[in-house]
Parts: sequence; structure tokens; C-alpha cells
Amino acid sequence: MTLSPRSLQGRLLWLSLGLVVGVWLATAAWTWFDVRHELDELLDGHLAQAAALLVVQQAGELEEEDHAVDAPTLHRYAPKVAFQVFHEGQLALRSANAPVDPMVGSDATFLTGFRTVQIDSVDWRVFAARGADRDVQVYVGEQLSSRAAILWAVLRSMLWPMVIALPLLALALAWSVHRGVAPLRRLGLVLSSRQPQVLVPVVVDDAPPEMLPMIDALNGLFVRIGELMESERRFTADAAHELRTPISAIRMQAQVAQGEADEALRRHALAATIEGCDRATRLVEQLLTLSRLEAGAAAAGQPIDLGAVIRSVASDLAPQAIQKQQTIEVDADEPARVRGDALLMAVLARNLIDNAIRYSPARGTVQVTLASHRDRIRLTIDDSGPGMSDADLARLGERFFRVIGSGQGGSGLGWSIVRRIAAVHRATVEVGRSTSLGGLCVTVDWPLDA
Amino acid sequence: MRLLIVEDDPSLGDALTTGLRQLGYVVDWFRDGAKADAALSDAPYDAVVLDLGLPGADGMVWLARWRARELSLPVLVLTARDRVEDRIAGLDAGADDYLVKPITIDELAARLRAMVRRSAGRSQAVWTHGALEYDPAAKIVRWKGARVELTGFELALLETLLKHPERVLSKALLQEKLYDWSGTEPESNAIEVHIHHLRRKIDPSIVRTVRGVGYSLGAETAPT
Repeated sequence: MTLSPRSLQGRLLWLSLGLVVGVWLATAAWTWFDVRHELDELLDGHLAQAAALLVVQQAGELEEEDHAVDAPTLHRYAPKVAFQVFHEGQLALRSANAPVDPMVGSDATFLTGFRTVQIDSVDWRVFAARGADRDVQVYVGEQLSSRAAILWAVLRSMLWPMVIALPLLALALAWSVHRGVAPLRRLGLVLSSRQPQVLVPVVVDDAPPEMLPMIDALNGLFVRIGELMESERRFTADAAHELRTPISAIRMQAQVAQGEADEALRRHALAATIEGCDRATRLVEQLLTLSRLEAGAAAAGQPIDLGAVIRSVASDLAPQAIQKQQTIEVDADEPARVRGDALLMAVLARNLIDNAIRYSPARGTVQVTLASHRDRIRLTIDDSGPGMSDADLARLGERFFRVIGSGQGGSGLGWSIVRRIAAVHRATVEVGRSTSLGGLCVTVDWPLDA
Repeated sequence: MRLLIVEDDPSLGDALTTGLRQLGYVVDWFRDGAKADAALSDAPYDAVVLDLGLPGADGMVWLARWRARELSLPVLVLTARDRVEDRIAGLDAGADDYLVKPITIDELAARLRAMVRRSAGRSQAVWTHGALEYDPAAKIVRWKGARVELTGFELALLETLLKHPERVLSKALLQEKLYDWSGTEPESNAIEVHIHHLRRKIDPSIVRTVRGVGYSLGAETAPT
């Protein structure tokens, strides 16, 4: 297992270990302070008690001078405690390890209570007491180094088990982290052992609840990718299929032109070749548009002025209508705002108006009307063409359906695109007979949010 | 050879028609199955090139109908549908060949020739009739080894006669084989003129006149 702090296991391990060590250190420090305090009090208490005993005891026996007593070593801590008894200013009794001068350090006024003094550059804790009657001054002291030694011994016995336990704890933590992260590792193994193109949902046994959202999201992603790949595959297949005929035509026309001696026929063949290329290009554009739409791109929700879009498209297509000596009437002056993608709206309008122009005869009429109602905006396109039979109306929007006998070289994708764009914008498309012109009438309704 | 093309795409149909005519075939082109069906009963076609993606009824429907009517005309399917299932379905429905676009005119012509050759009971590419040798692919005619130059119409006429060596073909039939509905009406004695040219260029015995009935291929002459 990796111990790098950047890995999940490393993070868990170092975090928990750091916490444990931190808590342990804090506890040790607190314990040290606490024990030292209590120890000081305890030993101070003993000093005071020893001084009191001396005062009481010596009250009756202070005739000899400078009696140095060799206090027996009764306890392992004993050698470091020293005492002095002064009677009327004279040193009457002292322990063997006590100095001759009063243990007051630099402070001569030290007569009662506790002081920490330095005697010959050694730190002592001294308790001074006076007798109530008679002039008895007692000093009991102990070297601080002995206190420190006691403190250290107490702490050591308290804390060394924990020191032993710390590495063991670290190992235990490492093991438990390793085990705890096992489901993640299993997921990683499952994913890495998959073939890249396999999109079957992932199943992890005993997945912990925290991982379930992640696994669900992953499987959802697989499904979406699968759909995307399927739609791309379909697009490629459709494109290949639909392009076969135009490409075949182009090639054959070119071949005909190659072999044609007659100049007029040759030019005709070459013109047909060029037209074939244009058709193929248009087809490719439409297929791309359709594939992008089918990939599920949601319409960008920009507010757009439909009137401006319609007018622009109509003016682009007007030359075509004029060439066929058709009359094209556009009534889209009112502002009409909807939310959507301006480019897609233009494609929709272009497909519908272009259709109307194509299928209407020469000298026919095409009417484009944009009207704002309270609850919707309606685009109506009427043409004076032959219209469509009910059977054909039902088949509109099928992928490559084309109306027969029209003599038009359309690709049949236009309707699919129109329907798809409308669906993406939550608009509805209706096709029927035109009451005003007798041909086809297409209405597109954009509902207005209240 | 007179061919019927059924193809709804204007550009491709135009290219097929012109291209095949360039190669010397007589071609009629219709853009939907119904019109093609009507034409089939009106003219003596040698083969049909059928597109499947037709408006109205699909090409497969027409193929099935023609075969059900026991129309044994060779049919070559030319389509964009390339899946194996489609090929199998087309061939099993009665197509004699199944081609996927795009293809070249030359290959199409070669396959048509093969189809027609087989339907005429011939197996060799070069048709021999005694001292006469005819290569329909290269459009070369040899008489006793020597090359003979013929015009398009003469070639078509000779080919038609060679295709049905046992039959007597009426003048009207020959006329229908040689002319499609796109060009101008032929002269009333055009066939006789062509027959005359054939006899002159090859050999008088190459065509036999059957009075009141028509013409047929002459008897085989030893190729000495």
C-alpha cells in the first residue's frame, strides 16, 4: 500500500496517526505539568512536615553546638534532603550534606516559608520554620534535581507503555485503513480490467453506501456514452448510405463527360457533376446538423427575436423564389421573443421556406406569417404547391422519406431536422392543407411561458 | 441491347442513361416502379437495372411482382443498401445480380452483358456463329478472322440476331430493340437499310429473310 500523503490510504493513515500522536503528546504534556505540580506540593508538604518535626523535637535539646548529624539513608530519595537547625543564631544541628551557612541563598530575610534558592550554583527548594518560643530557626531543603529525577521516574513508568504502543498503533491503523479502502480498490480493479469499449454497468459487491452514488453516476455515464456512440454510429451509417447515390451520380456524370464527343452533352454532363457535388455538400451539412441535434444538445436559452430571424432567412431565399417567378409574402414585423438557439431557428425557418419554394410551381405563392398570441407565438408557412396526401403527411419526419413525383432533389432529411429542432425548443409542428393557397400549410407554435 | 433503368435520383439516372447509351445500349429510364412496370409490357427489354429506394412502392416489391408474373427478364439490382441481409433478400427475391453503389458504368455494362449472355444460353464471352465472331464487350466483329467495321445500329442489329439464333424476328420487334423512346422515330425502311449494310459488309448469308415474317440469323458458314 502506498504511504504517499497524496493517496487516499496515505491521507487516512497520516491524518489518524498525526491525530493520535498529537493527542498523545498533548496528554503527555498535560500529565507532566499535572504530576509535577502535585509532586511539588507533595514534596513541599514533606519538607514542611520534616521542618515542623525538627522544630518540635529540637525545642527541648538545644545545648550542644554545631551538632552535625548523619541522618541515616532510609529511603532511596533521602540523600538529597538536608536540614539545619539554628539556635539563637548559632548552627546547632545539621545533616551531613547540609552547608554550614544558612540555606537562604542570597536572601537574608528568608525566615519562614518556601523558597527556591541557589546554593553554590545548585538549585534547592528550602522550607524555613521558626520555633514559637526560644530562638530556633530550622531550614529543610532538597535539591531540585532530585525532584526532577522523581518526576522523570513517575512519568517514565506512566508513559513508556504508550511509546511501545505507538508503532503498534500505527501498524494497526495502516492495516485497518488498507482494509477499509478495499471497496475502492476493488472498483479500481474492476474498471481497469475492463475492455475500453465495454459499457455494461459496473457491479461492485458489498459496495459501501458512500460509494453507491459514485457507482450510479459512473453507470449513468456509461449509458450516456453508449447512446452517444450509438447515435454516432447511426449517423455514420446513414451518411454513408445517403451519400452513395449522389457520389455514384457524380462519378458517372464525370465519366460520361469524359467519353462524350458531343460538346453540348459534355457540358450538360459536367454541369450535372457540379450540381451533384453541391447536392452532396448540402446533404453532409444536413446530416451533421441532425447528428448534433440527436446528440441531445439542449437549446441554448438565449432570448432571440424570431421576427428578425424569419425576415433574414426569407430575404436570403427570396432570389430563389424570384427565379421561379413566385410571389413570396413575409409578414413578420411584430417583435416576437422566444428563448432558444438563433442558429437552429434559422435552420428550421430555412428548411420550411425552402421547401415551400421548391414544391410550389412557377408563378406560385409562398406566404410566411409570424403572429404573437397571448400564450404562444405561431409561424405559418403556406404555399400554393400540390400539398401532400394524408398518407404522405403521416410519413413526414421519417428519416429519409421524400415525397414522390415532385421532381425535387431534396435529401428527405429536412423534415427530420425541422421536427428535431422544434422538439429541442419545445415547439410543436403541424402540417396540413393550406386554406388560403391550396397547397401545404406548416404551423410551428412556440409556447410562451406565462 | 435494350435496357430499362428504374432509378428515382435524377442525377444518377441521367448519368446511367447517358453512359450506357455511350456504350451503345438502347436505354429507357423511369423514375418510379409503376411507370417502369407499364413500360415492361410495351417494349422488349433485354435487361432491367432496378434501384430499390424508389418512391411509392419499394423496388423489392416490384421485383417480387415481376417474378410472380413469371417475367424472366434478367434484373440487376443497383442500390445503396449494402447490408448482407439486404443482398440475400434481393438475390432470393429473384434478382440476377445485386450491386451496391457507387459503381462504374463499365462494370455495370459488363455485368449486364454477363447476365444477358447467360439468359441467352451462352457461356462464352465471344459469340461464334460459324465464321462469324462477335465480342460484345469490345464490340468487335470478325468474319473469317478479318475484322469488320459496323455502325452502332448495325452492331445492335447483329447482336439481336445473334441473341436469338433460332428465332425469326419481325421488323417491328427489331425496330423496338434498336430504338428507344427518347430519340426521333426511325425511318420506315431503316431496318432494311441496316440489313442491307450487314450483308454487304459481312456476307449475304449472314441474315436470312423470311418473307412476310421477318429476319433471322443465317445458317452457319464453315470458318475456312
